Amino acid sequence: MTGNLSRRHRVAKELGTLWAFGVREYRIWQSYRANQLMWMMNIFVTTLLYFLMGRMVEAKASLLLGPAYGNNYMSFIVVGIMVNVFLYTNLADPYTRIARSYFNGTMDLFLLSPMSVYTPLLGLMTKSILDDYPRLIFVGAFGIFLFGAVFRFSDLGWVFLFSLLVLASAFGIGMISASSFYLLNIKRGTEPVRFIVQQLMATLLAGTYYPVTVLPKPLQWVACLIPHTYAFDALRRLLDPKAAMGVAVLPLQRVLPWSPLVVDGVALFVMGASFIPLGLWLYGRGIEKARREGSLTRWQ
Amino acid sequence: MVVPDALTPLPGRAGAIIDLKDVTKEYPGQSLSFRGTKLELKGPLLWARNLKHALRMTTVDSLAVSALRGVDLRIVPGEIFGLLGPNGSGKTTLIKVIAGLLRPTYGKGTVAGIPLHDTRSIRQRVSYVSTTGWMGLEWALTAEENIRFYGELCGLTRTVASIRTEEALRLVDLWEDRKKSTSGLSNGMRQRVMLARGLVLSTPIVLLDEPSVGLDPITRGQVIKTICDTLVSRGQTLILADHDAELVGSVADRVAILHQGMVQIIGAPNDLLVIVSHLRVLDIVMQSGVKTKNSPPPIIHRWDTNERPGTQALTHWRGLVEESPDALHRVLEWLCPDVRHVVEISFLTPTLQDVMGMLEEEYSYDG
Repeated sequence: MTGNLSRRHRVAKELGTLWAFGVREYRIWQSYRANQLMWMMNIFVTTLLYFLMGRMVEAKASLLLGPAYGNNYMSFIVVGIMVNVFLYTNLADPYTRIARSYFNGTMDLFLLSPMSVYTPLLGLMTKSILDDYPRLIFVGAFGIFLFGAVFRFSDLGWVFLFSLLVLASAFGIGMISASSFYLLNIKRGTEPVRFIVQQLMATLLAGTYYPVTVLPKPLQWVACLIPHTYAFDALRRLLDPKAAMGVAVLPLQRVLPWSPLVVDGVALFVMGASFIPLGLWLYGRGIEKARREGSLTRWQ
Repeated sequence: MVVPDALTPLPGRAGAIIDLKDVTKEYPGQSLSFRGTKLELKGPLLWARNLKHALRMTTVDSLAVSALRGVDLRIVPGEIFGLLGPNGSGKTTLIKVIAGLLRPTYGKGTVAGIPLHDTRSIRQRVSYVSTTGWMGLEWALTAEENIRFYGELCGLTRTVASIRTEEALRLVDLWEDRKKSTSGLSNGMRQRVMLARGLVLSTPIVLLDEPSVGLDPITRGQVIKTICDTLVSRGQTLILADHDAELVGSVADRVAILHQGMVQIIGAPNDLLVIVSHLRVLDIVMQSGVKTKNSPPPIIHRWDTNERPGTQALTHWRGLVEESPDALHRVLEWLCPDVRHVVEISFLTPTLQDVMGMLEEEYSYDG
């Protein structure tokens, strides 16, 4: 049908399939009632844990924030946790979803679909949107109502735009990570891209719990290689009422003659524009390789 | 004993019209013409020449396995085509290549007018149902939701998918149980949910891989017959791979027997039985522990035995023997000279299963 279907018709079909995935994932999510309870408890406990630890070091930590991020450590850490959840979903999820579908036999079904090879993957990610995105609201609500985090919401348009850039760059890395499942045949154990970017660099260097300035200079430059660093910086400046927009924090912001937010935006855009096409291309190559070798589905 | 398919005329099925509205290219041996509003394909719906596929699974350094070693095939529109063969003969790999799930390593062919390398376009023309690993059957969803999702996954709108789902579930006799979650269905019912997927799409080709697994003999016959009748009445072509030779032989117009990745023989089930027409099946149940003496008499072409353990352990011997008045006597003389140990003897007509066995043996000796 490829030849005759209009582009619009094809896009409508792809979107229809994505919607079907959304409905399916929602029904599955809904059917495990005990899971929902655990989910709520998990959010509560994890968020509480971070906040309590934050409270312990709040007085000293606030001094390190400098003028760039205001002086409210709770606001600082709330943005850190929220952005981390957001980034983790988009970065770590593609590989995890593919691996799960492969091992429980669902991938056999999905790859039979005449839709684009990316549609099932995006469809599977709706599970994470259902599971993870609501956490952002809970984390934010806890921060504001229980622990004294203060935000300003006057730049919500910019917050939304930066969130899209963050999502795009993280998803690009997520696709590169997902491609390793078929391309490098990494089907079990730790996936290297996800491990290096998310578990190593993002946790240690990007500034979830402390500003990047506390790191040695060379590590601050390494931190500039991942989108997390720019995401934390930009969203903290946009959301903290006492943040100073013009004070450079990241090494790249000190070198380039632009305002720190512009540097963040350009860096995130460049990362998104490079990682997404690269990730999609690698994933497509991986699927084709698996089609040739017969490793596409678990059951042969 | 290989009968090249190219030399045998292909049976035609009158009135087989396949809606191939997007087939724009013709290939040698094929022609397209309109019958009413439907586009009719004349010539083979599917052909493959010297198809090879090497599987390299699981790890980077695993050795490639030649799952297909040169398959030649032609299937006409509206035909029910059976694929038979022992485990590892290449049935599933061949089906996956036809379904566009795998790309052949070597060889040429078209599926509904689409070259084999255009796997995405092929997937738009093929429904594939495999019972191995439950193929994405979601336990938390109902039977109806599972089928409807499959339709939507393959590009049907929600409304069309719902209508086709009802039709399919009624045909496999599961409409009353449509609201039950899959986890609450019996194994056989789940199997029927899987098979209902094959009825949801109106693709020119439907592929069923091992449809008989998990179904009791009565349901198996009924369900497969219903599916075949429905697909034939719609003008769809069915390719059926199963290890149950009786089942495949009872519904297929033609059957191909595969062994070690190659087609050994293709023909109508009755024509294939000619290979064993001079033989009879001798079925002997005897007490276990009886030792055979010397080598078997030459009238026995092949045999196998099954032990039935227990306090009264029995051995089930089944052999293909040449038809002759003293056949039984000669077999018993070799197998179990003391007839007091024999519990039951029966003579049966050979089936496709025996043809498969014969060919397998012949191939092993040749190879």
